[in-house]
Amino acid sequence: MDDLVDDFIARRPSGLEKAYELWSRVFVGVARHSVSDRARAEDCVHDALIRVWRAPNRFQGNREMLKAYLIASVRNESFAMLRSQSRRDARELKAARLTPVETVDSIVDPVEAQRLQGALARLPEEQRKALALAYYGNKTHVEIAAELGVPLGTIKSRISMAMRKLQADLAGIGGSST
Amino acid sequence: MTEHLGEDAELYPLGILDDEAVRKVERHIALCSACAERVAQAQSVAASLAAALPAPAPSPALGRRLRDSIRPRPPAGILRASAFRFAVAAVIALALIGLSWQTLVLRGRLATEDLALVTMVHSHFNHVSMAPESANPVAAKILYARDGAWIYIIADKPGGPLHAIAKMATGRVDLGVLASAGETATLLFRPHERIRSIILRRAGTSVASATLAY
Repeated sequence: MDDLVDDFIARRPSGLEKAYELWSRVFVGVARHSVSDRARAEDCVHDALIRVWRAPNRFQGNREMLKAYLIASVRNESFAMLRSQSRRDARELKAARLTPVETVDSIVDPVEAQRLQGALARLPEEQRKALALAYYGNKTHVEIAAELGVPLGTIKSRISMAMRKLQADLAGIGGSST
Repeated sequence: MTEHLGEDAELYPLGILDDEAVRKVERHIALCSACAERVAQAQSVAASLAAALPAPAPSPALGRRLRDSIRPRPPAGILRASAFRFAVAAVIALALIGLSWQTLVLRGRLATEDLALVTMVHSHFNHVSMAPESANPVAAKILYARDGAWIYIIADKPGGPLHAIAKMATGRVDLGVLASAGETATLLFRPHERIRSIILRRAGTSVASATLAY
């Protein structure tokens, strides 16, 4: 029984408000990693959260799964905003790749970040590179394939394999630590 | 059902698929529990990747905007804040739904649904009254786009959480619970295919239904 998840699924305002209170920094961090302009990044967070809160039938699961679902929604909203506009945004995307967020108060979770670094380091080099370009480099699989001169299907496979290995690795580490 | 998602399940939560591929994934996982589970696992990994990103504090305005978007405001506040939007809502309601439904607008709920209003202003839409079912039915109407792109359900005095079930050519889809705001409850939904009929349930009992004609 989790009041936050129950409230969210039932579309009570408190469900979204609690989720925002707990995870607002990671939402904004994810949006600003793709959309460098602060106001537009916050638009993405707002629009993504409102959209999924109004369609909660798409979500089932526990609190961690809700957090992951919301983060993925913010990430997709941020990329959709960039895709939906033309050259001006293409320039902004390029700038976002080059310019780090200027006010870094902290990373989201230092312990989790350390676990993640270990798991990433255990990936085969070509898979780690493809995933890093996709997530941290804000590049599509089409762009990565062109940049590395590798077939599109190969890049999709590398990213997919990297994600599945990370999932198994992070779950394994979580299960073995005492 | 189309074939399973394959590698797109892992690419989807990274945000790198194009719009068409995103829609395909979302349509598929609404109907396929195996792929929905695979996407959920990939979302967990993507959430872990986010742990290494900087975490700037949001502006206080963002929290206020979110609250304003989900908390209904009193009619007086709406008039002060957005007289134009309120007028648009009232005109649409009066012209296409009738005076009794304008009363609902004046109660405030419909006028606060920014997303629904914007959607309606830019669409051609039909409306239908839902047929009452059971001994304790609910009065409800459905506004829906003529091209099937969206539906908006409005119930008066819901009398408890109302669950909306949609029937489409490919099967039934659970639309979730209508958002309640005092004496009205509403739900805006954008289906991936035309909805043929809607059933409202309260505590497991059907209380209203309607067939949509396009």
